[in-house]
Amino acid sequence: MAQLSIVDDTLIVEVEGLDKLWALKSRLEIPLANVRGATADPGIVHDSKGIRMGGTHLPGVITAGTFRSQGEWVFWDVHNPAGAVVVELADERYSRLVVEVADPRAAVALVEAAMRAYAAARPGPA
Amino acid sequence: MGRPRAFDEDEAVEAAARLFAAHGFEGTSVDDLVGALGVHRGSLYKVFGSKRGLYLAALRRHLDRDVLPLTRAVAEAAHLPAALAQAAAAYDSGPAAGLLLLSAAERAPLDPDTAALVEEGLAALEAAFTGVLGEDAPPPLAEALAATVLGVRLRGRATEGRPGAAAVLALADRLTR
Repeated sequence: MAQLSIVDDTLIVEVEGLDKLWALKSRLEIPLANVRGATADPGIVHDSKGIRMGGTHLPGVITAGTFRSQGEWVFWDVHNPAGAVVVELADERYSRLVVEVADPRAAVALVEAAMRAYAAARPGPA
Repeated sequence: MGRPRAFDEDEAVEAAARLFAAHGFEGTSVDDLVGALGVHRGSLYKVFGSKRGLYLAALRRHLDRDVLPLTRAVAEAAHLPAALAQAAAAYDSGPAAGLLLLSAAERAPLDPDTAALVEEGLAALEAAFTGVLGEDAPPPLAEALAATVLGVRLRGRATEGRPGAAAVLALADRLTR
């Protein structure tokens, strides 16, 4: 399980409890400029994870850590597929994060609202 | 970077628009999209960023391909009854028929970007009626006519095949008498 929060212009992903051990990582900080979106996606758990580069993978029990799939680095921390949220990134080591959260709908809304506020504060070339 | 996309983005967006029109945003899962679009999940996220990103692209496409061409045709109608009949028959139709109405009800209250696209589609219909009515008509009249068309279209979704033209033509008859 992970906890998402926004501090200033940064998305903070806090890996909770023992998942820190399984995932070999306790915290990720992603500038909002590099966040492309968030989606509740329980079905992603049934896709191929690719090659485990560090962490833990017991199919059907836990997927946690760093995986490499189709040329992309993906960070996983999921036990229960129902809570899986996909955060798509740009210009980061990870192409995407797949993390289990307590309330996927609220997590997606949090990320989208933060992205919107960030974009509104910086009118781009449109 | 620079790797060619492994799928036709426009075809994928159209397939997504059909799904969203049939099942709504919440009712369409990423599994549904991956299956219908025939793309890898990773490619879908890479290109569109999120399910919401794909939804906005689908609604944009529906506006550009179906809604706005129809409103342009309505604006060129010879008289009000013709404009109303045309709008009642075909507003928000096409491959993703109903996506605009569904977006207005489901996602627009939650998502400002969806709301802006919905507003664009509704404003285009109002502007078309304003053009047909002429400068002298009060602006709320065009809004009322657009609202009538929306209502007729919505009614038609509940009762398949129910003709909407009779209702709008009766209204036009009363207005132009």
